[in-house]
Parts: sequence; structure tokens; C-alpha cells
Amino acid sequence: MKLVGIVGTNAKKSYNRELLEFIQRHFSDQAELEILELTDVPLFNENDDQSQSPVIQAFNEKITAADGVIIATPEHNHSVPSALKSIIEWLSFKLHPLDGKPVMIVGASYSVQGSSRAQLHLRQILDAPGVNASVMPGSEFLLGRAQTAFDDQGNLKESGTVAFLESCFAKFMKFTDLVNAMNVPDAVSYQPGTYAVTAVGHNGKLPMSVTLSKDRIEDIQIDTSTETKGIAEVAFKRIPKAIIDGQTLAVDAVSGASMTSHGVIDGVAEAVKAAGANPDDLKKRQAQMTKAVQNITDITTDVVVVGAGGAGLTAAAKVLQQGRNVLVVEKFPAVGGNTVRAGGPMNAADPEWQHQFEAIPGEKHTLTEITQIDEATIAPEYLADFRVLKTQINAYLKENKDQRGYLFDSTLLHRIQTYLGGKRTDLQGHQIYGQYDLVKVLTDHALESVKWLENIGVDFDKSQVTMPVGAIWRRGHKPMGDQGFAFIKALQKFVTDQGGRILTETPVQSLTTTAGKVDGLIAQGPDHTKVIVHAKAVILASGGFAANTKMLQQYNTYWTAIDDDIKTTNSPAMTGDGIRLGTSVGADLVGMGFSQMMPVSDPDTGELFSGLQVPPQNFVMVNQAGKRFVNEYGSRDELTQAAIDNGSLFYLIADDEIKKTAYNTTQAKLDAQVAAGTLYRADTLSDLAKQLQMDPAVLTKTIENYNSYVDAGEDPEFHKNAFDLKVQVAPFYATPRKPATHHTMGGLKIDTGAHVLNADGQVIDGLYAAGEVAGGIHAGNRLGGNSLADIFTFGRIAATNALQDELTVTPLG
Amino acid sequence: MKLVGIVGTNAKMSTNRQLLQYMQQHFADQVTIEIAEITDLPAFNEPEDRVAPAAVQALSDQIKAADGVIFATPEYDHSIPAALKSAIEWLSYTTRPLINKPVMIVGASNGALGTSRAQAHLRQILEAPELKALVMPNVEYLLGHSLQAFDDQGNLTDHDKVAELADDVTAFLAFVTLTEKITPENKFMEKNQQFSWSQIADGRD
Repeated sequence: MKLVGIVGTNAKKSYNRELLEFIQRHFSDQAELEILELTDVPLFNENDDQSQSPVIQAFNEKITAADGVIIATPEHNHSVPSALKSIIEWLSFKLHPLDGKPVMIVGASYSVQGSSRAQLHLRQILDAPGVNASVMPGSEFLLGRAQTAFDDQGNLKESGTVAFLESCFAKFMKFTDLVNAMNVPDAVSYQPGTYAVTAVGHNGKLPMSVTLSKDRIEDIQIDTSTETKGIAEVAFKRIPKAIIDGQTLAVDAVSGASMTSHGVIDGVAEAVKAAGANPDDLKKRQAQMTKAVQNITDITTDVVVVGAGGAGLTAAAKVLQQGRNVLVVEKFPAVGGNTVRAGGPMNAADPEWQHQFEAIPGEKHTLTEITQIDEATIAPEYLADFRVLKTQINAYLKENKDQRGYLFDSTLLHRIQTYLGGKRTDLQGHQIYGQYDLVKVLTDHALESVKWLENIGVDFDKSQVTMPVGAIWRRGHKPMGDQGFAFIKALQKFVTDQGGRILTETPVQSLTTTAGKVDGLIAQGPDHTKVIVHAKAVILASGGFAANTKMLQQYNTYWTAIDDDIKTTNSPAMTGDGIRLGTSVGADLVGMGFSQMMPVSDPDTGELFSGLQVPPQNFVMVNQAGKRFVNEYGSRDELTQAAIDNGSLFYLIADDEIKKTAYNTTQAKLDAQVAAGTLYRADTLSDLAKQLQMDPAVLTKTIENYNSYVDAGEDPEFHKNAFDLKVQVAPFYATPRKPATHHTMGGLKIDTGAHVLNADGQVIDGLYAAGEVAGGIHAGNRLGGNSLADIFTFGRIAATNALQDELTVTPLG
Repeated sequence: MKLVGIVGTNAKMSTNRQLLQYMQQHFADQVTIEIAEITDLPAFNEPEDRVAPAAVQALSDQIKAADGVIFATPEYDHSIPAALKSAIEWLSYTTRPLINKPVMIVGASNGALGTSRAQAHLRQILEAPELKALVMPNVEYLLGHSLQAFDDQGNLTDHDKVAELADDVTAFLAFVTLTEKITPENKFMEKNQQFSWSQIADGRD
């Protein structure tokens, strides 16, 4: 028999430790007792989850593996010590190793009481639902006046005490066998049939059917037609397979899609219950574990790319186009990174195409304002471009003086807007703006990226020109199909069709170097395999660190504070891995203190694409009192700060016509969200206000005023730059929003060839970076739609230069 | 009259904190309630020199300066949170400011029972000889389903629970006045301010 003993205090001197050591020796022929100490256990804190830390995991694993547990508790203040309470709280929070575990309580104290009251408390504590231990009743072993109880060898002096302890221990041996026999799950038997249940997905409930035979789960079908493509697909494939393969509900959630994973597990549990079996038995049944063997995979390739998002897949595709080999390693089970979460439209000035569209009210005003900017405020390296742009704008304004005119754009307008948009000063007074040569490359080659993507297989919707949130100008090229996933779908297909290899669930641990040149990497593959990659070049395309709150807080110099519980619009994969890898070989960092918040995020999930996301000219933002509070056409920072000033939570108001301009949703999704209470809908503004607990008169007045500004083409309150639709056709909608972390501006310092630079400004041989992992382009703030332009442009550049430098491959035109 | 309300958890989001904030505002014309947090206290570990860390000393000074103490406790695993127990162990092992201090216990929980078992434990703990607090008898303020109990302005929405709390606070204020009369000044305070569990055996306390 294998037992674990817990010393119930962190004190240096403890008679409870002596008591356990005596038990260990005295009963060594009957049981092997391992004694665990609380010394290194941190105080429980639900906001700082340490369940995965080595110390808590050691308790978890040892208790799980043991047949029973003996807890020896002192009595402090009539109860158990806080240190003991703390480990029990950790073991009842995310982990539950004591569930059903046989436990014996003993205790020693200085007083005659011998921990009697602490033992009673401990009994009640171990009975709590989150702990659910099986505590042996009776046989209360209390060792009073413990300071006089042991001899010099640490043995109990009183033979009567020893005899009682022996009787308690003998009873515990039997009790352990009994309880463990009780814990063996019953044979499962189902009422055969196909059961219709629901799984909870990202966007609401999904119909699911589970087919059961007499003793097996045979089939699981999930209707995912209303689900956002890309994010949770892996969970919908892998979880049903794991359940059927193992005939168990004890399957691990897919990282990055834990909600969907649990949604599927709970749905199957519902079916199991309906079929007359107990889902708890299936949750206890362990899947057949594959034995962990340290397999080593050794791969040699031309170029290895870290990260299978838009930047990484673009680089991989470009390598393949030049006839070279490429390997992409991705730490998550699914490809797509943050790109699958992007809104879709990418910025590229394409005047010929944009000229087909009419200008909308407000745009001329924006252009005029640009021409009025004081040249003294423009950085010298941008000045020549700025002057040419002014000439272009003045010519356009003159040409269209008496008419509405067409939509103006030029590469220079894109460049200057990127520069102006990125100009920021942090809390310490440091000013930052986009590095001219990088911004020039981005804006000069963005349109080329659109054409390149078309060539790869991305179809763009040429019938409309959109402006993503925070983009400042309408130059968004929107792909047909599912938002950002449309890019990934085409790129992934291209890469795999052309023989590129993608390894998912393979986080990179370190880069390898030979004589200062980066020449490969070491990664951890699935099932404990080790992957060693040798390559001529490594391209880091692993994204930023918006999902790493601690790192954000560590570098932040821009926001007055970043909350510990702030949500993110990003994939949970965005934890700054590439920045860690780059700096480990001497890379310099740039602009790390700046980060971007997405003002219009789901308050509960941080996601962008719940509710109604419409072009900003159709945004009507109201605060919790039902009043407008900001120019909805403002920059993301302006919107974020205004939201924070108004208590963070605010609403986007829309009517039935505005709904039609949304680029993120379907009627089915909207209906599901209204039913779920995450979106509000009403036939009148008054009713909508009531649902939002606003004064109906205030909201109605706000909308009346807004509609009158649309008619007048001018907003005297907040000076909204451009309008489109009024809010007038029922039903009316309100989408709740809050700011969330969205983009980390800083990153590895690169040059125009996407080479990673060290602190001396020199190229680190063999290392390239593209996308959010690199810094310097967007500087203090990134325009909406520019990140897609960035990844597709610098992804191509990184690949082209890697091939040119390391493999002397020149581009094929 | 001045009271200290101790938030009995280190969690960021706590309806016990909300409950104390509500009491602070709602009873402002009757009594001043300062809210004390235990978040920054270290985990208790018997210090050889018996000296309270600065954060513990600060909490202790705050308690000493007050006429009474309100503990607002959540319930973790049928008892008080380890973080609150740790704070109490610090106080009992170092400065002992709760001796003869009138104490009222309240608690809020998301479940239906409203911390009944944690409050019973806390009562026993505070009555331990190392602490010797004067816990007010007869009153047990339990706030169940606490996540739904407050409106956006932080006010309790259930009128019965508001009335019950008002009665309990009034009773506690009377209890504080009463205890001032019956406890001879500093009767226990003159004795050794520091305590060790080994002293129980010596009959020194």
C-alpha cells in the first residue's frame, strides 16, 4: 500500500512531522508512507493560479498516485493552520486529487486538547464539494502535550498511545481498500439510440447527435454551420475522436478552444445521462495513456518558419514559389494564428479601383485638414512625401470643388496616415513614430501583396471598399468568405499543395546557432517528441504578446494602467515567444512600451466578432446612461480612452438598415446572441433603453439628435467626421462593448529586408522576422487594416531575403 | 464611533468587499467604517523574532485605533479562506490587537447558504485564547446568492436583507458601547503582547 502524509504546518519545528515520521517507521512493513511538506506552498489566491506550478503539481501527482492520505494537523487559533488550508484550497480549485481519496486525520498539539477542534474543522473542510475526500469516521487520534510524548529516538513513549495508533492505522488500511473498491466505476450500459443534444460553441449552441450502442459511444456528429471558421474546428474534430477512441469523458481540452472542448464533452455527457448511464463514471474512466517515449525527429530544410499565422504561411508560400523547401512549426493545434481573428479588409492604396466609388460626406474635410497640418510638426524624413501629398490633395479638391467626387487615395496618403496614426508620446514623454524606411516599404508594396494573394487563391470582393475600425480611410480590400480565415484557407492550401510541411502542436524551445549564425531550432513535438530542425534561415512569424498580460504590464509605458484581468481580442497563443527567441540570440527591441487596445470588444470574451460590427460611419456609441460620448470616427486610442472615462462598458446602437452593413454576422448568429443575452434587440428605442437600464427619454433624444446630424452632415457635439445611415428602422440593436488588448506595437528590431538586428544595428545572420513579432513600423499605434498589409508584405520580404542571402536564390520576378 | 471592516479574502472580485462598501456608505451617518484589505499580507510563517511584518503592523494599528471590527468572510471549502486565516495567525502571533475588541461577523457567498459554516469556524477561531476577541453573540448576517444581491450602484436590492443588516449594525453599535463599560481597561493588554502556541502548555495564557 502506498500512502502520502501531509505535515499540516510550515513551521520549522513540528510534532506533527515527528508523528508522521514515527508512523512512517512503525508501519513500514504495511505501507510505504511518503511525507510531503507545506514549506513551499504559496498562499492560495484565485487571481494568481499556480495549479500548474511544480510544487502544486507534485502534491497533485503524488496524491493521485497514492492509495490513501494521512494529514497531521496542529491547532492554531482553534482551527487548522492557514498553510494547510491553503494547499487544500489549491487542491480544490482547478485540480481535485482528493476527490474520493481515503483520508485519515491525526494531530498533535502542545495542549491537552491535542488538536481536537482543528480536527473537527478539517473534517468539515475535507467534506466540502470541491474537495470531496472520503475521511475515515471515528478513530480520532489526538496527541496532547506532544512536547512530552516522544523519546530521544522520536518514538512515542506511551505504549497505550502506540496501541491506539495501531488500531487506528489497521482500521485505515481496511477503510482504504473499501473506499478504493467503491471508486471503481461500474460497467457502463446505455439504452441504444441516437440522442439529440446541444454543444456550446463560440457563437452559441450547436446541435449535436450522439449515437450509443449497448456498451459503446459509437458516433458524435456536430452541426458547426453557424460557427466561426478556424478557431474551434480542431476541437470539433479532436474531442469527439478522443471520446470515441477512449470511451471516456476524461479527455483534455484543446488548447485555445477550451470552451468549445468542454461544450462538446458536456453535450456527450447529456446524451449519456439520457441513455440511463452515469456520466461521472465515464469522467473517472481514464483513457488508455500512450506511454511517453522521448522520440527525436531530426529535420533538415532550407527555411524554417516559426508560427503558422498569416505572416508565417505567406513566408512559407513565398519560399515554395522559389522552388525551395520549407517547414512551418506552430505551437497550437490549428493554423491561422491571429489572422483568423482579423476582420478581413487589408489596407492598400489602389487609386484606380477606389476612383470608381463616390466620396462620402466628411472625407473632403479630412483631406483638407491634412493640408492644413503645420509642416514644423512633420518629421524631416517624411517632409518631402508630405509636400507631394499636399499637391495631390489640392489638385483633387480643386477638380471636385463643385461636385461630390470620387474616393481619393494614393500611396503617399497611406504612408502619411500610417505615420500620423503611429505618432504617440508615452507617459514618460518619449515620442515615437513609424520608421520611415519601413513605412515606405509597407505602403509601396501593400498593393503588390493584394495582387500576390489573388495569385495564391484569395478572392477579393471588388464591389465595395471598406474601412476597418481605426483605419482612418476607405482603402480596405475585403476577401470573399470568412473574414481573416479566407486568407489562411488559401495560404494553407497553397503551402500543403506545394509540398510545404506544417508541424502543429510544436512549440519552439530555442534557436540553434553556429559561429553566430542562426541555423535551426529545437522544438517540443506532440506526445513528448523532440524536434530538431536544421535550416539555412529561420523566419520568426510568431506574433506579438497581447495574450501575455504580465509581459504587457512589464513593458507598458503608454497606458496609465493595464488591469490584471483585461481581456484580449487575440488568440491565447500570442505570448511573445518570438521576442523571447530573438532576444536569446541578441536581437534588439523597439517600441515595446506601446500597445493598442481594441475599444469595441466583447465585454466577456474580448472577441471582436460578436454582436453587430459595422463600418464606423454607421457606429453610434452610447455610454451606460444612453448618451453619446465620443466621435465614433476617432482613433482607437481616442475611443479607448473615452470608453475608460465612461466606465469602460458602452453600447453600439444600430437599426435594421445598419445591420445590413455588418461584415461579421448572419441572422442566425444574431438570433442566438439575443437569446443568450449578449446582444439586445427591441422594436422601439424606449424598449431597448429599458433592457439596458437606461432612461428611455435620454436614449431616444440621443438618437434624435444623431439623426438630425446625419441630415445636416455635421455633428456639433462630437464632430463625427463621416456619416452614412440614420437610426430609424425597427428592430433596434445594442451591442455591448469594452476595450481589450489588441496589438502589441513593439518587437524585434528589423531592417527593410526583414533581417533581425542586434543592439549595434547589425544583422543577425540567418534570422528574419515578419508581422507583429517585429516592431518599428506602426510605432505607437497601428491603423486598422494595416496589420494584414504588414504580414503579407513583410512575410514575402522575409522569405525573399532569406533565400537571397542564404541560398543565393534570386526572385523569379 | 469608528470601525474597521476587514475584507476576508485576497480575491480581486469579492462580494464581501461589496458588502462592506455598501455598509460603509449606507451607515455613514451612524458610524465611520474604514475598509481594510488582507491582499498584501505575506503568508503566515512563524517568525523567530516575533516581529510583525510592516503590512501586518499597519493592519494591527488600524484595528487598535478602532472601536470595533467587522469581518466579512467568504466560504472556501466549508471554512474561512486560507488568506484570512493567515492574517489572523499573524495578529495572534505578533501584536494581538483583537484582545477584548468587539467583533461582528458578516459573510456573502454566491451559493444559497451565505457562509454559515465559515462564520461558525471564524467565531470559534476568534474566541481562541490567543485572540480573545469579543465576538457579538446572537447575530449572524448571511448573504446568499451574493452575485445577484447588488445593483449597479452597489446597493443591496433585497429590502428584507437591508432591514436585517440595519438591525444588526444597530445592535453591534450598542454592543460596542456595552463592552467598553464591562471590560476593565487593558486588563489583558498589560500582559505579554506576544504569543506562541507552545505557551498554551505552560499555562501562561
